[in-house]
Amino acid sequence: MLTGWKDFDDTLRTLDRLQRRAGLVLEPFEPFGSRERVRLRARAPWPATNVFETKESFVVKAEVPGLAEGDVSVSVEEDALVIRGERKAVVPEGYRIHLRERAPGAFTRKLPLPARVDADAVSATLSHGVLTVTLPKAREALPRQIAVKVG
Amino acid sequence: MNEVTSTHSNGTAPAKAYHRRAAAPSVDVFENADELLIVADVPGVPNDGIDLQVQNDTLTLTARRPQPSESPALVREYEETDFVATFRIPAGIDTAAIAAETKNGTLVVRLPKAAAAKARKIVVRPRSGD
Repeated sequence: MLTGWKDFDDTLRTLDRLQRRAGLVLEPFEPFGSRERVRLRARAPWPATNVFETKESFVVKAEVPGLAEGDVSVSVEEDALVIRGERKAVVPEGYRIHLRERAPGAFTRKLPLPARVDADAVSATLSHGVLTVTLPKAREALPRQIAVKVG
Repeated sequence: MNEVTSTHSNGTAPAKAYHRRAAAPSVDVFENADELLIVADVPGVPNDGIDLQVQNDTLTLTARRPQPSESPALVREYEETDFVATFRIPAGIDTAAIAAETKNGTLVVRLPKAAAAKARKIVVRPRSGD
């Protein structure tokens, strides 16, 4: 059930949180008053993803601002939805960096599916930087009404 | 790219209190000789959901997401809140010429430098005889 959706990289995330805390402590002591402040956000799972369930399907929404259609791919592999893509570093040429929070980089997110889906009927759309993947449940995963007979 | 209209006012009226839940967007700030460039992540916000206000030396960005009408989430890593950010506009920016556009869930705001603030190129000539 829901536990099936637990992400694979929980351990990494915990490590990251610790690192982030350590970073917060150390930051004020940074000896270099670097004019180019590069402040990349900690590596929380990217893209952030929400999963909804309806009667007939699962709907996965991922925030991928800055990505165009060619930058992201969606596939169903075994029992998981895999979202791959890359947010390119877009420092315009000849510009100085004052602040950098929008981390670039390639990503792969593998989300285990809690029930069988009809892989051929999966559809995905990208709108205003939000990827929406609709995964219709396989027939055997749909709720079935069981007739109760009078004995 | 879609153009965004921004509102200008020079009054001293305080910004209207914001009652919806909002988060700060991730932001990049770049600069060259001609302009400052702000790039903000505003995923899920359509073009008409973006409001930019210039008041004195403050630029306020408000990006409203349409209200979600989803079934309960199995997993929720992000809240579909609005985005709000304020920036102090440095001296030497031509605030009347600030322009913005949206693309793929990002907002790009261009703040052109006033002509006087642009670095002048000084030609260094050798003194005759050197």
